[in-house]
Amino acid sequence: MLRFILSRIGMAVPTVFLVAVVVFFLIRLVPGDPAALLLGDMASPESVAALRSDLGLDKNILTQFAIWLTNVFQGDLGTSITTKEPVAHLVIERFKVSAGIVLVAVALASLAAVPAGFIAALRQNSKLDLTLVSVAALLLSIPTFWLGLVILLIFGLKLGWLPVVGYVSVAEDPSRGLLYVLMPILTLFLHEIGVLLRMARASALEVLRLDYITHARAKGLPERTVLWRHVFPNAFAPTLTLIGLVLGNMLGGIAVVETVFTIPGLGRLLVDAIFGRDYPVIQGCLLFIAVIYVLVNLIVDLCYPLFDPRVKIT
Amino acid sequence: MNRRQRLAASAAAIALTLACGPAAAETLKIALNADIRSLDPGVNRDANSDAVVLHMVEGLVAYGEDASVKPLLAKEVAVSDDDLTYTFTLRDGVKFHNGNVLTSADVVWNWNRYMDEATKWRCRNDFAEGGAAHVVSVTAPDDKTVVFKLEKPNALFQATLARTDCGMTGILDKSSFNADGSFNVPVGTGPFRYKEWRKGEFIDLEAFADYAVRSEEKRDGYTGAKRPLVEAVRFAVIPDRSSAKAALLNGDIDIVPDVPYADVEEFKQNADTAVSLATNPGIVALLLQTRDPLLKDMRIRKAIAMALDTKSMVEGITLGLGKANNSLIPPTSKYHSPAQTQGYSYDPEAAKALLREAGYNGQPIKLIANTRYSNTYDAAIVAQAMLQQVGITAELEVLEWAAQLDRYQSGNYTAMVFPYSGRYDPALTMDSVMGNKDKEPRKVWDDPDAQAMLADAVRYSDPAKRQEIFDKLHARFLETVPFIMLYNGLEASAYQKHVQNYAASIFSMPRAWEVTIAE
Repeated sequence: MLRFILSRIGMAVPTVFLVAVVVFFLIRLVPGDPAALLLGDMASPESVAALRSDLGLDKNILTQFAIWLTNVFQGDLGTSITTKEPVAHLVIERFKVSAGIVLVAVALASLAAVPAGFIAALRQNSKLDLTLVSVAALLLSIPTFWLGLVILLIFGLKLGWLPVVGYVSVAEDPSRGLLYVLMPILTLFLHEIGVLLRMARASALEVLRLDYITHARAKGLPERTVLWRHVFPNAFAPTLTLIGLVLGNMLGGIAVVETVFTIPGLGRLLVDAIFGRDYPVIQGCLLFIAVIYVLVNLIVDLCYPLFDPRVKIT
Repeated sequence: MNRRQRLAASAAAIALTLACGPAAAETLKIALNADIRSLDPGVNRDANSDAVVLHMVEGLVAYGEDASVKPLLAKEVAVSDDDLTYTFTLRDGVKFHNGNVLTSADVVWNWNRYMDEATKWRCRNDFAEGGAAHVVSVTAPDDKTVVFKLEKPNALFQATLARTDCGMTGILDKSSFNADGSFNVPVGTGPFRYKEWRKGEFIDLEAFADYAVRSEEKRDGYTGAKRPLVEAVRFAVIPDRSSAKAALLNGDIDIVPDVPYADVEEFKQNADTAVSLATNPGIVALLLQTRDPLLKDMRIRKAIAMALDTKSMVEGITLGLGKANNSLIPPTSKYHSPAQTQGYSYDPEAAKALLREAGYNGQPIKLIANTRYSNTYDAAIVAQAMLQQVGITAELEVLEWAAQLDRYQSGNYTAMVFPYSGRYDPALTMDSVMGNKDKEPRKVWDDPDAQAMLADAVRYSDPAKRQEIFDKLHARFLETVPFIMLYNGLEASAYQKHVQNYAASIFSMPRAWEVTIAE
């Protein structure tokens, strides 16, 4: 088990390194100079050049990369060009905000979508199945920014139940904090439910068609046992993979939802950094996201044996 | 159902009222479309940072509502006959937020800090050796007097001190800095003092009870009456325009300083909201690269100017709220004389004739635009269509803002619609566009004769003399078409009707002083 974890982490190192290289050079290939952006449209070439040299951007690009990489290995992700804050601190603070929302939304979506998907599969082609599948398809096709705005319009504006803008940390003030994250959680929940329900239904349908299910039924097992012992564990694995992917994806980028609901999360930090060409922040965010992605998938892999006895981790 | 009834209607809503807290009524909540960069005046800043910082920090002089420079911390300013010595007499009883009384020693100390290269003050080069307003000495003969000596006369010396992007050369108490000399938080003399900054969320300020008001008569730009009449101000960061609109309609926000023109009518019709409009001196221009093989021909540039019906263009993109202005001097300026109202003559037929004469036969002209400043994108679309009418093939190239700024800085473009941020003195605006393209590729008006005229406008402080120069420059600008001036920035601010005495201004930055909230 430990060896598996260590080898997986070992395998992730080249991936993360590759991300670091690609991110570092790609963002510098994008036109736009952070110093010129910081100083604005009326800056003189001298002041832009002075700022570039202050920021170390006048150095050879390979030298810049070497400096950055050395610092990263020492745990220093640098400081933001725009706000002068340490990047590591920024990333962690913002990540905490995003992660709370994403974890709750994905957990709720999984709890709702997986049973619903299985029920739809069991009642294939019934009215219930049709309804569930249509709702899932609809939710899946609505872009999150629009869904978010509609939710904001209904609960914030028309009903006036929830505050439209602002953010209070749940850790600081649980009851108030909750009010501010309800709408973003609902938006993500509705969107992800569509994705997960379809997957759960498809996998369950596949398993239901298999011989061992017919066999289990033929030998007279009660339907409940058939479902819990034989269908669920076998059908859940693909959905679990998808949950892992969704989670990895969302932990790195719910920028749209964060923008609509003014949540100071990681996604917004990244988008703002890209517009401001804040290289250290962009690099720090993407590196962090890559690591999170790897870790989430590792955890998902470690969870497989819990559901599917055929998978053994050695 | 009104808002109060709705609040009573649900448990969640009750929680919301608890959430707002008891002091909410006295807090003026202003939306900001992005977080500020820092609280250090004139150092790491953008327009939002200036807007917030200038609630806490004040300088010796400031811009009035009509963009003329007036005393603020100074009681009066005496200028010597040779225009080289400026004597500032400080007002009595001005206190910093920590209770310290402002003295001339503070001014000298701040000046030395600003002029220290390590401070990285944005405006240092203007006052340093080689700068347009080189200050050779600053002394404090007594507690209330500060004397600035210039190397050579400069009509823009005070106008530069007052610049908002220079942080108004704000005077800070020494407690604004950490022991190692680094900046901490501003302890200034402004009507509001710093309370808290939650990055990405909000900046909270509170009223400064001991604020020494310059005048109780009326608000005048960044000087005049500046009383803090609300207990606290919250600048809330709301990047999404739709969310800001929802927050205003919902009552979560009191003021949104910049709403899209398309929403203005709705906010006017709404019983709970009102709108305030103001033209700022920022210019939106169609830049033409005079080094381009095609556009170096003045006839083609003239034809482009003649092909554009700037009047209808601006009415269209601002939905009738704004007016075209073909002069670099904004209509709000005292220098916007009748001569400045002269514009390009819209004449498609003459444009076609000129194009034929110049031998133009449909070569494509790339027109760069961005969607960050959506009005400038609209202007590009309209320009493209109008140019098509006279047979000019304009191809739109939409870039992200940072990429467009890059192309602007390097002069690597044929044509682009570009928004300039505002400068309050016409000479400063002209200086930002005028220059030698070999030395500074970003400059868009490369004309040595015009440059010489501008130098006079910087040297002389006599308004009549300056007016004459500006009028001559405008005539030359229309004649030689270095680029095409379309209109000045227009800001539409929407606010709750219970907010009293709020107004948008030429500064395009929200101001919380003299504003009250009605019960």
